[in-house]
Amino acid sequence: MTEERTVTVVPEDGLHARPAALFVERANEHDAEVEVGPVDGDLVSAGSMIAVTSLGVAEGDDVRLVAEGDDATAALDALEAVLTTPEDELEE
Amino acid sequence: MSDDCQALAGTGVTPRAGVGTVVWYAPDTELPEPPEGGVDADEERQRFADARAAAKTELERERDRVAESVGEEEAAVFDAHVQFVDDSQIEAAVHDAVDDGLPAPNAVHEAFADHIERFEGMDGRMAERADDLRDVRDRLVRLLTDGERVDLASLPEGSVVLAERLTPSDTAQLDPERVAGFATATGGRTSHAAIFARSLALPAVVGVGDALPDVPEGADVLVDGDEGELVVSPTDEERERAAAEDLAEVRPDPVSTADGREIEVAANVGRPAEVEPAADRGADGIGLYRTEFLFLDRESPPGEDVQHEAYVEALDAFPDGRVVVRTLDIGGDKRIPYLDLPEEENPFLGERGIRRSLDPDADLFETQLRALLRAAADGDGDLAVMFPLVATVEELEAALANVNEVAAALDDEGVAHARPELGVMIETPSAVFVADALAARVDFLSIGTNDLAQYVMAAARENDRVADLHDPLHPGVLRAIRRTVEAGHEGDAWVGMCGEMAGDPDVTALLVGLGLDELSMSAVTVPDVKANVATADTDVAAGLAETALAADTRTDVLDNLSDRS
Repeated sequence: MTEERTVTVVPEDGLHARPAALFVERANEHDAEVEVGPVDGDLVSAGSMIAVTSLGVAEGDDVRLVAEGDDATAALDALEAVLTTPEDELEE
Repeated sequence: MSDDCQALAGTGVTPRAGVGTVVWYAPDTELPEPPEGGVDADEERQRFADARAAAKTELERERDRVAESVGEEEAAVFDAHVQFVDDSQIEAAVHDAVDDGLPAPNAVHEAFADHIERFEGMDGRMAERADDLRDVRDRLVRLLTDGERVDLASLPEGSVVLAERLTPSDTAQLDPERVAGFATATGGRTSHAAIFARSLALPAVVGVGDALPDVPEGADVLVDGDEGELVVSPTDEERERAAAEDLAEVRPDPVSTADGREIEVAANVGRPAEVEPAADRGADGIGLYRTEFLFLDRESPPGEDVQHEAYVEALDAFPDGRVVVRTLDIGGDKRIPYLDLPEEENPFLGERGIRRSLDPDADLFETQLRALLRAAADGDGDLAVMFPLVATVEELEAALANVNEVAAALDDEGVAHARPELGVMIETPSAVFVADALAARVDFLSIGTNDLAQYVMAAARENDRVADLHDPLHPGVLRAIRRTVEAGHEGDAWVGMCGEMAGDPDVTALLVGLGLDELSMSAVTVPDVKANVATADTDVAAGLAETALAADTRTDVLDNLSDRS
């Protein structure tokens, strides 16, 4: 199954350093292929730190997440949680 | 001297000696030549997998250490690096390159190349990610080539670190409890590594030159920071001599000259870890508390409470003394990601120090002043605050107006605060010429001889080729010092000195004669300077100063000094 949603980024430094690291880690933990990118642009693999970093996602940006696989819903839930939690409240 | 005993000459930067075992710190790694017959791809894939696992273990260890010693926020970069190590695109590219016949380290180098170039081509903060990728790439290549990159923070006890050069971040990792000393091929007395060695009282020799790389890993060496020598395989005799040299009497109480004029002898401090060693070496207080460490190596500016805590901690370490804090002194030669520091043709003559604090960094300045005024009320010792790189009276007046505004705001908010002593750092020739007007507006002046010599002599501090010009014993600099002291005293301001000159025991009598009220230096030389203050006589010292001020040349100044001592 394929599922997608659009999320507004909360951490003030955007997808960088710890939020980015955690985002990639979560993406790789689930049995699903997840892609991420701007709402109207090309998507990249959410499981690649280089790809995620190169998006240059900033605070307040809308990003589109598309997941395919058995675990798609759980993967999107986990990634949405990372994107909507302020950096100082993130837990490993 | 036995046959294998060898002494290499360099510049000694601390009057201390230490004996230990050589550990080479060499961050550069070289790639192997790819073998002509290709490689066993499976084997190279396995090597790559092993290197990734080892890199992650290292990163997690470094992460935990930084989280503990600096903070969670700063440790986050290591989390990011773990994910770069694990990156699927890199993995695929390395596997492809290995299948094409490249050895694993070369494959890693190639796999990162395009990504690094792509990030370098982006704007601002994105371009900095290229540094992260380079760092990760070099770590993997080092692990794959068995390159030795020593973990500077966890060296065995009794290590002597040898390196081509040590950057500020390298030296910041050295644990003074475990390191017996260090020697570098490059650098001079005022290089960052030298200043660091003095502030932690580490035996160190810099500028040893091309002979240094010949000293093998694991050799027994004696680092004689007094003589400026690195002795390989020292004899027992040499070890004993070095140990004897190392005993300086620590005087915890303030000292006066033989005829009873009290001179404050204080320490320069660049980070919190240096505060306690300063007190241990008998410093009366802190004469220069640099605040840059609070702002470097982080992703966002430090808040008011973080700063307040650091300042109070320093004040509590000297309950009967004074702590002189210098407000943020930063310019285009530093890289601070959250500050928009312009690339300047000549950052030492550009927008730095008070110039930035009054304009682009006005918010940072306000936060720092709030933290300082609160600390003045909350800490045990007496706080003094000085402004760096002041060139005009207008700048000083603007800074003082900021202090008044911050005090008024804290009053309105009902927050406890007090007014510290306020002063100006005398570093620019202009400040020397208007020192009377500056002194009339503040409580003290503090002469920063490193920068004053640099600007009076037009000779850059870090440039070895003009090292002879960069010497405060040139008559031009000595006369600038004298003029500042006289102007300060006429304006009822006390006058201190916080450059390297203040910590040179050979010129203590001269400085007493020039009329300085306070001398602040790297903690390591505090006992020697206190000893020389105690034996100085103000009349004799004044005569020494008059002779030095009348000299036409530096050579004459040096000759007179050596005749009289």
